[in-house]
Amino acid sequence: MQDTAVTVGTGAPSRPAAQGRLARIWARHGAGYMFLLPWLIGFFGLTLGPAIASLYLSFTNFDLIRAPEWVGTANYARIATADPKFAAAVKVTFLYVVLSVPFKLAFALLVAILLDRGVRGLTVYRAIFYLPSLLGGSVAIAVLWRQLFAGDGLINSLLARFGIEGPSWISHPDYSIWTLVVLSVWQFGSPMIIFLAGLRQIPTDMYEAASLDGASKFRQFYKITLPLLTPVIFFNAVVQTIDAFKAFTPAFIISGGTGGPINSTLFYTLYLYQEAFGNFRMGYASALAWILVLIIGLFTAFSFLTSRYWVHYDD
Amino acid sequence: MTHKISRRSVLAGGAALLSMSAMARSALAQEARLRVLWWGSQARADRTNKVNQLFQEQNAGVAINGEFLGWSDYWPRLATQVAGRNAPDIIQMDYRYIVEYARRGALAPLDDYLGSVLKVEDFDQVQIKGGSVDGKLYGISLGANSAAMMVNAAAFEEAGVDLPSPSTTWEEMAKIGAEITQAGKRKGFYGLSDGSAVEPLLENWLRQRGKALFTAEGKIGYDANDAAEWFTMWQNMREAKACVPPDVQALDQYTVETSPLSLGKSAASFAHSNQFVAYQGVSKDKLALRSHPLISKDSKGGHYRKPSMFFSVAAQTKDPELGAKYVNFFVKDPKAAEILGVERGVPESSAVREALAPTLDELGRAMLDYVSGLGPLAGELPPPPPSGAGEAEFALRNVAEQVGFGQLDAKQGGETLVNEVSQILARG
Repeated sequence: MQDTAVTVGTGAPSRPAAQGRLARIWARHGAGYMFLLPWLIGFFGLTLGPAIASLYLSFTNFDLIRAPEWVGTANYARIATADPKFAAAVKVTFLYVVLSVPFKLAFALLVAILLDRGVRGLTVYRAIFYLPSLLGGSVAIAVLWRQLFAGDGLINSLLARFGIEGPSWISHPDYSIWTLVVLSVWQFGSPMIIFLAGLRQIPTDMYEAASLDGASKFRQFYKITLPLLTPVIFFNAVVQTIDAFKAFTPAFIISGGTGGPINSTLFYTLYLYQEAFGNFRMGYASALAWILVLIIGLFTAFSFLTSRYWVHYDD
Repeated sequence: MTHKISRRSVLAGGAALLSMSAMARSALAQEARLRVLWWGSQARADRTNKVNQLFQEQNAGVAINGEFLGWSDYWPRLATQVAGRNAPDIIQMDYRYIVEYARRGALAPLDDYLGSVLKVEDFDQVQIKGGSVDGKLYGISLGANSAAMMVNAAAFEEAGVDLPSPSTTWEEMAKIGAEITQAGKRKGFYGLSDGSAVEPLLENWLRQRGKALFTAEGKIGYDANDAAEWFTMWQNMREAKACVPPDVQALDQYTVETSPLSLGKSAASFAHSNQFVAYQGVSKDKLALRSHPLISKDSKGGHYRKPSMFFSVAAQTKDPELGAKYVNFFVKDPKAAEILGVERGVPESSAVREALAPTLDELGRAMLDYVSGLGPLAGELPPPPPSGAGEAEFALRNVAEQVGFGQLDAKQGGETLVNEVSQILARG
């Protein structure tokens, strides 16, 4: 080494063997890591880093402006024992998950089966049915929903033709959650595409054999289609459940950020947002976020554990 | 594989970097930047941007970046910017939040600039006090307003009902509301909006009873009986169809555009006087401004003139004096005043007010007359709301809806409300 040079290298020069190995790895995989770099930066900088920070903040009082102040498990204790709004939000969110996921999957499966009947222009229909999923999470659609389901909206105009006087669906505590469920079911596109792919995997000779034996279409569905489709159903159910737990935009727009009327659309994420940015309780909101991670984790684990009793893997 | 970089090139590179940062610094010295953030409508933005332009013209080397949002998006944005050490230099501040921001050290105290840069001697002293927290001045009022009833004059006329007067009582108002509904001149149209969740309206009603929303110590200023009586009054109006049903009221996001008045569902809504311009802007019918009803004929009224909004200078700003200069220009310069009109409320400076009066259009005139003509109906400015006031307003709305939809009766509603608000205030 000359003393007029600064060495920039990946390993210490006293360990040439290690350096050589690193260099070899770099030569072999370097390009791959470079391609991964944008994702890696995003993952560590925008996902993992903030997640760890929020774990720390969940044990503090943090009002966004002053420095966080350590409070131990006080936030979690309050969530568990003294927060009626948390209970309300969990109730609404569970109701939403339990209603929207099965309806959405059933509807997606129904449409997929209809399309699988060899409809002419399948690709066109597929694209059309997928469209709502592309638009789904957007603010514009949520605003449209407000117009459709308001007291003098389109739905009530249609009902009026049959002499039914509908309430203002989106602003009535008994019905508002249903407008959100309908919005979710309407976005059945992505599970439908996956169902369609799954249906295509089922060998047609099974159906031929079954109809030769005189099995009705209904019976064929129950005995062939459903069992062979269970891995796809399982996948869709898990993905959609996680999505439903995380839903935010529709409730935020439709209720104007309040979760009303009477907390009837107070999704968990909406409550979390209110606490963080409305009431300056970022620490408490972080704790809420980690509880949500826990809930989703438990749900997913439960799904995987029970899956062995009903999901058939054909191998 | 190692790269060799000679010491000379490192030095050269370093020198280049240093000179670049020096250049950047001298560029900054030439041009001071002020970021201004406010909430409001497009009309407000147009006026504000024009004033900013004027300020730049008169102050060479100052560049102003203005940004505006709707009310509900404004507060999350401001909170995140302040938390991210990226606060705007000039912050439009509300009476409800000034305590929260000032106590957290996010705002710069302006006392040192009084008299020198901030020439607000001809302001109403009460309004100056309204921008003070713990004895220090954190906000300069951009205009005075008061709670008000927006009335659809055309709909009143159609129904053959006289407009309410300053001495109209709640009892009479309930009758008027029911008459308009019964007149049935418009489809799905009611006399009043359901104001049971409107905090300034409740406050007005409480003040007439000698109570308040919050005490000076930041505790709740009324009890369960008061609240129960309030809910009972509205329950009666709901039953008499004097006001809109609860599912119509629940559409109201308490913005100009979503109020039952603007949606053509009711002939009267409850808001603030400076919003009159915006309400008339979205209404086809001619509107009028009226004071809130009285609890009895001999009541003194519950109104007060309050700063409709402030300009505050962020504690993080590089040049608070320039910030103060900008704020002073905004509230004192005659040309700026003419551009701004009364859109943010009635100007606090008496000189500006006098200069402005002859230039106002009919709407501005009506607003000015309303605020300055409240007379004995207006009392003292209450202390700024405590931390948690924003959440308390949510609680009122939630409980009012529970009573409206019949999940709670008025008495239970009163107890629930007082409980929840007390807990919120205790938590701070």
